[in-house]
Amino acid sequence: MKPNVKPETYHDAIDPILAAEEQLIPSSGFLAATMERVCDEAACPERIPFPWLRALPGIVLAVAVLGWCGFELAGMCLANAQEISITQVHLTAAAGRALEPAGWVAVALVASMLSWLFARRLAGRSGLL
Amino acid sequence: MPAAMSAEEDLADVNRVLAGEVQAFEGIVRRWQGPLVNMAWRYCRDRGRAEEMAQEAFLRAWRGLAGWRRESSFSTWLFALAANVFRSELQRFPAVTVPLEEAAEPADPATQHEGLARKQSDEALRRAVLALPARYREPVVLYYFHEMDVAAASLTMGLPEGTVKARLARGRELLRKRFPKLNEPSTPMLSSTLHPQKEVLQ
Repeated sequence: MKPNVKPETYHDAIDPILAAEEQLIPSSGFLAATMERVCDEAACPERIPFPWLRALPGIVLAVAVLGWCGFELAGMCLANAQEISITQVHLTAAAGRALEPAGWVAVALVASMLSWLFARRLAGRSGLL
Repeated sequence: MPAAMSAEEDLADVNRVLAGEVQAFEGIVRRWQGPLVNMAWRYCRDRGRAEEMAQEAFLRAWRGLAGWRRESSFSTWLFALAANVFRSELQRFPAVTVPLEEAAEPADPATQHEGLARKQSDEALRRAVLALPARYREPVVLYYFHEMDVAAASLTMGLPEGTVKARLARGRELLRKRFPKLNEPSTPMLSSTLHPQKEVLQ
């Protein structure tokens, strides 16, 4: 910072008032309190960055599975839309109702398995994925 | 303390901190606590809060010490970082400003004394700076903090000097409108100055 401003440098009536502010002296505990916070911060272990490299295969897999599901679903919808008839609608609905719980259970099991493997991989404890 | 010596000491302390010597940061805090607390005070005019904000600025400086690229002086980097901290702190919790007309009213006969009244009106003007719109407030605060050095204020704000000058001029113009008697050179700033045009800063 520059040395104190000399009065001859004032060009405005505001200048002497705003320039001649009294200097605050930091309280006696300021230095110690600041250093305490700095030391606390230094003692903390460094933040662990998200392991993007390890997570990448999992993310790619998840995106691929979702994409594949979307693609299959769209294909089925298009096929069904072309072959739609009142009888088929009833048959499909009846078959779908019977298979629906089993399908969801299978999906949930696969999802659980994948997320468990993915979590273990992130933790570096699995050689499966 | 000569500026060159301070710069050398800052550099030495930064190198020691970056080498893992945490306690070396104490030298930096010791040298810069005064300027940073005073700078924070000008942003909020609340002593307790100024110290809190200055402490936060030191903590950010500690975290980001490796990011000082040494193209500018350590003080320039530190002031710019502190200005960012103070700005964002005040955006989260704006400074509480006392209404000027209330602060300026002489409360008892003692305030009729010229010296006291002048002190009171000077303080009202300083508080009026906080009531300026944000884009004009900071250039005014930093210009006077840096002892009327536009270049230093512009470095701290990270803005071109021309922009700072323009905003400074506008800020002062608003203050002059708010305190019309400032334009009369022979008139002392008595409490009578403080019958301002209220709408200007609102």
